Amino acid sequence: MIILDALLQGILMGLLFALVALGLTIIFGMMDIVNFAHGEFLMIGMYTTYWTSLLLHIDPLITLPASAIVGMLLGLASYYCLVKYLLRGPMIAQLFGTFGLMLFLRYLAQFLFGTDYRIIQKGLLVGKTLALGPFMLDWTKLSSAILSLIAFLFVYYLLHRTKLGKALRATALNREAANYMGIKTERMNALAWMIGGGTVGIAGGLIVNFWYVYPTVGLLFVMIAFASVAMGGFGSIKGAFFAGILVGMIEMLFPVFGHLIGSDFLGPHFKFTVVYFAYFIIVVLRPQGLFGWKK
Amino acid sequence: MEKIRDAFDFRDFSKPEKVGFAIFTLFLLIFPWLGAGSFVKAVAIQFLLFSLFGMGWNTIGGYGGQVELGKAQYVGIGAYTVALTMVWWKIPFWVSMPIGVLIAIGYSFIIGYPLFRLKGHYFAIATICTSLVLQDIFINWKLVGAAKGIELPIREHPDFLYMQFKSDTYYFYFIMALFYVAIFYMNWFRKSKLGYQLRMIKEDEEAAESLGIDARWCKIKAYSIASAFVAVGGGFLAVYNLYIDPYSVMDLDLSIKIALMSMLGGAGSMWGPIIGSAFLVPLDRFLGSWLGAQKGLIGVDFMIYAALIMIVSAYQPRGIWGIIEQFRKRGA
Repeated sequence: MIILDALLQGILMGLLFALVALGLTIIFGMMDIVNFAHGEFLMIGMYTTYWTSLLLHIDPLITLPASAIVGMLLGLASYYCLVKYLLRGPMIAQLFGTFGLMLFLRYLAQFLFGTDYRIIQKGLLVGKTLALGPFMLDWTKLSSAILSLIAFLFVYYLLHRTKLGKALRATALNREAANYMGIKTERMNALAWMIGGGTVGIAGGLIVNFWYVYPTVGLLFVMIAFASVAMGGFGSIKGAFFAGILVGMIEMLFPVFGHLIGSDFLGPHFKFTVVYFAYFIIVVLRPQGLFGWKK
Repeated sequence: MEKIRDAFDFRDFSKPEKVGFAIFTLFLLIFPWLGAGSFVKAVAIQFLLFSLFGMGWNTIGGYGGQVELGKAQYVGIGAYTVALTMVWWKIPFWVSMPIGVLIAIGYSFIIGYPLFRLKGHYFAIATICTSLVLQDIFINWKLVGAAKGIELPIREHPDFLYMQFKSDTYYFYFIMALFYVAIFYMNWFRKSKLGYQLRMIKEDEEAAESLGIDARWCKIKAYSIASAFVAVGGGFLAVYNLYIDPYSVMDLDLSIKIALMSMLGGAGSMWGPIIGSAFLVPLDRFLGSWLGAQKGLIGVDFMIYAALIMIVSAYQPRGIWGIIEQFRKRGA
């Protein structure tokens, strides 16, 4: 029973991880850039929801569009001001460029909001639980998971069923050929950053409902997102989805496992370590990730 | 014999480089007597230490072209070996440091073997992951002090065996000696067979393999050399700070700083890591002490630092050394 409960919690958390990973994998699929600042985008999404709901006295769930818009603008700005120029350089310069962006955003947040841990206290769903048979689920987590699933499906629809999405995927597959077909690849890059920023903004707005927000919160999530994106295979959207859920389940199941075998050492403080370890094992055994098409 | 000659042979450098290096050496030799304050001395020690780290990283990251972002775990291995053996068995620094280096090399072979199956971004993130796993283990491992870290026992009198001195001057000369050993080693390394093989792998791995170079084995060798360098620096860090914890010696930020300094200075060149740390370490420390002390400006120093990183990586990915060479070519 305890295992089933952990599994359910893991799936809920995993849906959010998947949404965080989605932006990362789209951006990577488009232009082979790993965005270190992704976690900081998430942090800014969290702050946006926190502040708008606090200052305007509205429910945090209604402020999601604000987070999405801030995330999109952030993505666009970082593409046009930084990433465009980074694309000319080698991989290491790209990594450090986005790393610089990450440091910049993190300390900007620290400068603006201080280092306090903040959490949303008021809200329609905050603190309420849903009893589903023997399982107790937090309403905030449940609704966040459902909304993130909706956001994920929406982006999936956008990419696979619309003309715009087709152009985007064509660019990811072969930039030059897409260019010959009259697709403005530069604009597609910007679009990828916009979608990436928007989805992670929404994810931030959802996560802040049950997670503390502070300027360095991004690091934990970006590492999880890296691990899940790489597990699923860089550039693969399906991979990001399943790997996100897998990561969520590992993270929740591991402490239960440690508890069951009665080991002190395998406690909850190692739950993320296990995620990194699982990543390491998976990519070593299957270097292109579970669903990867890009090496 | 030839190897030793190669290490001390600087003839193939250009004249400005040779003159610059000589002046720099002289300056370092007299530096402690110039009346600098303890803060400036600490910054100078940091600079030499990070140059040492950077030169180590340069073997795999610069010459080999592998984006390696997990060097902090070897700093940790070096530092913890020295600290733990000193606390538990009172083993002197001169014994424990080589042991730390050997452990680092052994560990680097163990994780290097699976690690170098990976390429590109998968490799970069896997190196971060291995470092984080080790850090997490040390944070939770009660035997080695867990998150609290370890304090080294302080000796009453300055002791050469345990490398404990009252004055920073001794530490300065000691790290300077290590720094020069590293320079001579790198001078040999760049002309060695492995050095050429690595550069070939960086240019075109498939072509290198078709010429009979075992790319994976070369990378593992370079990786363990880099790890040995970094572990030496880690051992020094333990006796210099007399206190270590997993956050200060194994953090992701440290790994990234090491790679970043080499990259900003100019990866794959002899002077790159030194220039990079000569630029970034003082910038980091002085900005921190100047702006960090002002009320209401928390974090502004890091914002400036971050902006600089972004500008250099967007404008000249080959780093400061790349900019210098660009000017030199235009002049010639």
